Amino acid sequence: MREGDVGLRLNLNSTSNVRITMSEVISDTMPSPDPSAADHTASPVQADLRLSDVSVDEVVELIRFEMPDDEVEPLLERGVLPGCRLCPVRRSPSGDPIVEVDGVMLALRRETAGCICVKRFDMDAD
Amino acid sequence: MSSTTEAGPAAPDAPTEEGSPLVALVGPPNSGKTTLFNQLTGLRQKVANYPGVTVEKHVGEYRAGSGALEIVDLPGVNGFSSRTLDEQVTRDVLEGRLDGLRPPDALVLTVDCTRLEPQLMLVEPVLELGIPTLLILTMADELAARQGELDDMRLAERLGVEVTRVNARSGEGLDAVHDFLDHVAQRGRMPERACPVISNVPRGMSLPVIDAFAERRRIVREAGRHAKYRPPLPDALTRKIDSIVLHRVWGPLIFLAVVLLVFQAIFTWAVPFMDGVEVAIGTSGGWLAAVLPDIWVRDLLVDGVWAGVGSVIVFLPQILILFLFLGILEDSGYMARAAVIADRSMYRVGLQGRAFLPLLSAYACAVPAILAARTVEDERDRMATIFVAPFMTCSARLPVYALLIAAFIPERALLGPFLGTRAATLLGLYALGAIAAIVTAFVLKRTLLRGKPSSFLMELPPYRIPAARSLFLRLWDRTGVFLKRAGTIILGVTVALWFLTQVPRGMDGSPPSLDQSALGQAGQVIEPVIQPLGYDWKIGVGLISSLAAREVIVGTMGTIYGVEDASEQSVGLQERLRQDLDLGAAVGLLIFFVFALQCMSTVAVMRRETAGWRWPALQFGYMLALAWSGAWLANALI
Repeated sequence: MREGDVGLRLNLNSTSNVRITMSEVISDTMPSPDPSAADHTASPVQADLRLSDVSVDEVVELIRFEMPDDEVEPLLERGVLPGCRLCPVRRSPSGDPIVEVDGVMLALRRETAGCICVKRFDMDAD
Repeated sequence: MSSTTEAGPAAPDAPTEEGSPLVALVGPPNSGKTTLFNQLTGLRQKVANYPGVTVEKHVGEYRAGSGALEIVDLPGVNGFSSRTLDEQVTRDVLEGRLDGLRPPDALVLTVDCTRLEPQLMLVEPVLELGIPTLLILTMADELAARQGELDDMRLAERLGVEVTRVNARSGEGLDAVHDFLDHVAQRGRMPERACPVISNVPRGMSLPVIDAFAERRRIVREAGRHAKYRPPLPDALTRKIDSIVLHRVWGPLIFLAVVLLVFQAIFTWAVPFMDGVEVAIGTSGGWLAAVLPDIWVRDLLVDGVWAGVGSVIVFLPQILILFLFLGILEDSGYMARAAVIADRSMYRVGLQGRAFLPLLSAYACAVPAILAARTVEDERDRMATIFVAPFMTCSARLPVYALLIAAFIPERALLGPFLGTRAATLLGLYALGAIAAIVTAFVLKRTLLRGKPSSFLMELPPYRIPAARSLFLRLWDRTGVFLKRAGTIILGVTVALWFLTQVPRGMDGSPPSLDQSALGQAGQVIEPVIQPLGYDWKIGVGLISSLAAREVIVGTMGTIYGVEDASEQSVGLQERLRQDLDLGAAVGLLIFFVFALQCMSTVAVMRRETAGWRWPALQFGYMLALAWSGAWLANALI
């Protein structure tokens, strides 16, 4: 089994129904940038974590946007949808995040990243 | 719905039942769509504007075995909302709502299969149109190289369209495309049908936008699953290169190096070509003058047309080299990184990263720069960009700077052998232009163009080696636009100015002396206004003539002073200038040229891009006021 085939299986005991629907739709065959996470139980932590605060190489999942609808649309078109997996790859020389999402590298301003609510996956030792 | 089209009688090229079928090429940007279009239509393309809007229409002719087809290369779009003009126009064309363009009879979609699902998601609504569609997968070789997989047949099954792989660079797979187009040509025009509606929401549902996108993503994901799609591994080479190119320290340094390289290319490497062009124009003009009889037509041709055409063609090598470099940077993928590096600084002054490439182009010529600003999606940012583009020191200012600096600034060392007074003056003029641009953009964004802050999203594609054929065709396209736009206008105005030096004629039909001619009179009329700047009517005539194109003033002053073979190196011309201007007035004149908008081509392009006279008039007036004040200040202080 190849690395890329290991999907990140969400624990369907997570709380919100909405999240289950989106995650079901999005997740299973998505290649995980962090294969080791597949073996751990995922539990939602810190609902108000912003994308701008996530460190490099950390995988997070998008919960919601906190910006006007018309600003959301360009993000949606680029695959940044609720339930999708985001992973900051590096910071630009001016400190803005560059994230990988849906196989694409996307550069955005930290102000925009500050309006995107995400959640981490806690690596609980089992 | 389609608020951008003009109502009224059908356009002259309104389709008839017997017209050739129309095939629309649709796809996200960077999917290889335009490369394919160029492959299919080659040089049989035409560029125009869609009625009433500033979006370019690229239509080409395709000759199939059984007849001809029209192929329209729709703008690369990321969706079908009404957010950008490009998306609106694409939707209008596909729904058949645009005057003069009937709904397409077939569709060709291009999708980069290394990013299959995200790209399919964008064009998915188009699959519901129900017209014959061919889905072309590009970059299939890269998919295989990065260990991705895809079953074409099963994808075709699930999506209900024909699917084929094409390597636009090598031409592999084009046979299937030719077959498809042949069938379309055979089938002929489709019968009239009700206009379908494409939207971001799947048919029959009314979901909020986010859910609509999630639904589309779901549909596409299922199609991908059915087709056993395996996405490629991340491109390791791109990651490695980015770790240097976007490094905190190395990134900006590399960026500066690239910018300097582009400048070097424009100003140093282009020189031999430009000299060559000048010689060619000079000798051909001289030959023409010798060969033709001494009638007014000869003067018109040699002093009017040749001078006018010459002043444009001389810049062609620079424009070509600039476009070549920018094309390479864009196609390789570096431009996206440059925009990211430049974004934060540009954001602080009221612009954004996407404006970087257009403003860099403006250092050669503002005309292509203003056209390139279409890539700035946010309308206010785009307006700010095109408004300040003429402040960038374009190549036409250089002959004027060279002449005045040589005539008035003595050469002395400032920083040892590294910097002399003349070079410092030149740099200072460049800096002044850039500062004016920054301040103007800043002020504009807080006053006329005030609004909520724009967002900046830049996709960073994997690095690729640019394809020569694509580069060449794009160079051809852009050069044609430059020649047509700048060339016809500059030629027209130069001929008009020449004409003004030929009237009013004396009783015996002889041409007037310069101060008696219409142009000379005009110079005398504006003399009171330019006197505070230290100029007389002769400089006034020069200023008026420079409205056509800045560098025309050099030739005009030569004519006025009766100097043979006037050029910026001409010592005779420099001496005469020193007699008529003092240092303060000369510095003022330099500053005048830094600020003033003396280019009818720029005005014309501004009018087209802003669909009206309001903005170009404001730009002209603002820059003129700035120029006059700056020149006055310099003359008063020095």
